[in-house]
Amino acid sequence: MSKVKLDEINRNIYDIKNKDEYDYKIKKGLTPEIIEEISKQKDDPVWMREFRLKALEVYNSLELPTWGPDLSELDMNEIATYVKPKTSLNTSWEDVPEDIKDTFDKLGIPEAEKESLAGVGAQYDSEVVYHSMKKELIKQGVIYTDMESALKKYPDLVKKHFMKCVPVNDHKFVALHGAVWSGGSFVYVPKGVKVDIPLQSYFRLNSPESGQFEHTLIIVDEGASLHFIEGCSAPKYNKVNLHAGCVELYVKDNAYLRYSTIENWSKNMLNLNTKKAIVGKNAKMEWVSGSFGSKISMLYPMSILNGEGSKTEFTGISFAGAGQNLDNGFKVIHNAKNTSSIVNAKSISKNGGKCTYRSLVRIGENASGSKSSVSCESLMLDDISISDTIPVNDIRTDDVEFSHEAKIGKISDKAIFYLMSRGLSKEDALGMIVRGFAYPISKELPVEYAVEMNNLINLELDSF
Amino acid sequence: MKLNETPVRTSRNFNINNIKLENIEIPQQIESFENVEKIGENTITQDIMGCDLAYGLSDELIKQQEEHANQKLKITIDSKENKEIQIIFNFDSKNIQLVEHIEIEAQEETKSTVIIKYKSQQEIKAYHNGIIKLHAKKKANINVILINLMNQNSNNFISIENKLEEEAKVTYTIVDFGGKNSITNYYSNLKGTSSNNILNTIYLGSKNQIIDLNYIAELQGEKTNIDIEVQGALKDTAKKHFKGTIDFKKGCKKATGNENENCMLLSDTAKSIALPMLLCSEEEVEGNHATSAGRVGEKELFYIMSRGFNKKEAMKLMVKAKFNKILENIENQQLKNEIEQEIDKRLD
Repeated sequence: MSKVKLDEINRNIYDIKNKDEYDYKIKKGLTPEIIEEISKQKDDPVWMREFRLKALEVYNSLELPTWGPDLSELDMNEIATYVKPKTSLNTSWEDVPEDIKDTFDKLGIPEAEKESLAGVGAQYDSEVVYHSMKKELIKQGVIYTDMESALKKYPDLVKKHFMKCVPVNDHKFVALHGAVWSGGSFVYVPKGVKVDIPLQSYFRLNSPESGQFEHTLIIVDEGASLHFIEGCSAPKYNKVNLHAGCVELYVKDNAYLRYSTIENWSKNMLNLNTKKAIVGKNAKMEWVSGSFGSKISMLYPMSILNGEGSKTEFTGISFAGAGQNLDNGFKVIHNAKNTSSIVNAKSISKNGGKCTYRSLVRIGENASGSKSSVSCESLMLDDISISDTIPVNDIRTDDVEFSHEAKIGKISDKAIFYLMSRGLSKEDALGMIVRGFAYPISKELPVEYAVEMNNLINLELDSF
Repeated sequence: MKLNETPVRTSRNFNINNIKLENIEIPQQIESFENVEKIGENTITQDIMGCDLAYGLSDELIKQQEEHANQKLKITIDSKENKEIQIIFNFDSKNIQLVEHIEIEAQEETKSTVIIKYKSQQEIKAYHNGIIKLHAKKKANINVILINLMNQNSNNFISIENKLEEEAKVTYTIVDFGGKNSITNYYSNLKGTSSNNILNTIYLGSKNQIIDLNYIAELQGEKTNIDIEVQGALKDTAKKHFKGTIDFKKGCKKATGNENENCMLLSDTAKSIALPMLLCSEEEVEGNHATSAGRVGEKELFYIMSRGFNKKEAMKLMVKAKFNKILENIENQQLKNEIEQEIDKRLD
């Protein structure tokens, strides 16, 4: 009898370490003086400086979560929350410093821009170093820029939406984000404009013992549509790095937004990210999420279905290997009549990795006629790994259709036997089953990511 | 009062890690409770061991058991002939507080049915804090039927713990209808290889009843199995929390666990919260859970009404049809009739 062994993800590309060079790196720790200094470095308007200081107060008043993975190794006194790279924002790859450009080249970002994207943003440590978008979209009034530029060019639009969808007192790491945020993307798609080709932002954290706190704010106005892709990675260092980004999405009436994430942080990263969407009347919000990296991940994207007839879908996969604790899931609040949600979550645990699916479906008193269907499946590839499913289903009215189902188990011997009886080798049979398991997710990814994901899930056999 | 903690916590904002009950105090003085009927009495003694529980509802309630239990009953099963044992606790104006501790020991290769029933007169405000500990030894096959028909002014707290040895089979049927607050903690430790626990529950909530069910099954032995089936209905402003945990511990190879919870919502102000957890530290297992909630099917209702029933009668039939799947496991016809009458009464 032999046993499936999945290769660890080949991280050679992601683990490229550049020299820790920067224009400015703030001292470690979290004090009002440090926040004032970040605000000064970023030339914030007064309201933002005050917002940051208030957020720090909230951060200090909140407890660490009393549930989920152990975060005791996180010591904010050992994290530098702002690292300004040795370049300013560029609109041409040629102007980006050679070592930074080389990293993004190896990650395939400029190539992807040429072939399949309508616009690209690239963040290195705390600041965006490159941003560009196709001219046609600019003509149509689409805005795609870094958050700092947006704060200066569109102050009213930013102030109206900034941390209104994700309030600063949501939890401790949102408050931290509010205090030290830097970088990220701002997108505005005007009424009725359909952006057919995706926009992509890529976040790279190079500096050791530091954090990345990018803020993504997307407004898809009435009847408009957008596909936004987010990618993240970092090289591995011995001490922990922290990612506490925040994504706020406003999907107005009749609009459509798909937000795809491929997260491949290094395995010393604590990924404590917050993502939330407010969805208007007859609008649709789709989340596609692949979670492969991080030492600890706590990530639960959330859709608030405020508009009558609004819809959301979540399709996600987590893959936890040795030393990883990926506590991911999804939250949806049905807050209006005739809303619907569909959740399809999968996880694979191996080599002692732990995957947890944690979720909330709440159908409120005012959401009659709503429907929700949740399905989650977990695959255990050995007996040293852990896989938990912790879903909360909170139904507060009667005129609803709600169902939830979950499955946990290993690859069936019968399935392997059947495929082998059709002439496949054992390795091919196993590979086919695992890829088949991940297929509902990979088919939702842009093709180059789907290929990458299949490469990541590389099977081999190991006798025992 | 905070009680019935889940074995694993989730976000506090979800309000499900435990239940907080307002305006309830645990009585400091416990009066005697004498109105108990026992059938099959020769197997019942007062020789109980102790109140130590792996989980239980709360330290405060367990302490009350240790200090103030007013009924202590030990049931020893040593027959292979499936003799039925019944214990009926009748709450009335003179027997208003019950703090009972029941221990059941099913000896090897025995077969038995134990019925435990709680009934109360309508007008009283009764208090119940119970522990039922069951030890099913090798190849024992025991069927426990727990019927809570208390009124809706009373408080019902119960902690259940089972220990299953090799090839033991425990079938628990719980009918949970009574209590302004009805809070149950159920823990099964399936340590013995090939041990099997079937847990079937029906609950019915009306007015402002709160039903909180916290079921935990730890599968430790190889080839163990747990099946949890819960069918319930809520009307008026009743609220239910169902927390079901199937925990596949390391070493429980080839274990299986299934959990299915369905809640029929009979009013637009009833609330159903479910947390069906699967925890898994073993590879060769199969775990499934499913929960659903919603109205009684419109089409089915229409069909029944087209046969001459009014809406209320049709609704009752639908609820009874769902419950029947579980009630058909009760062989005692008299008891089954009594439960059906209660369903009719409580759905009126």
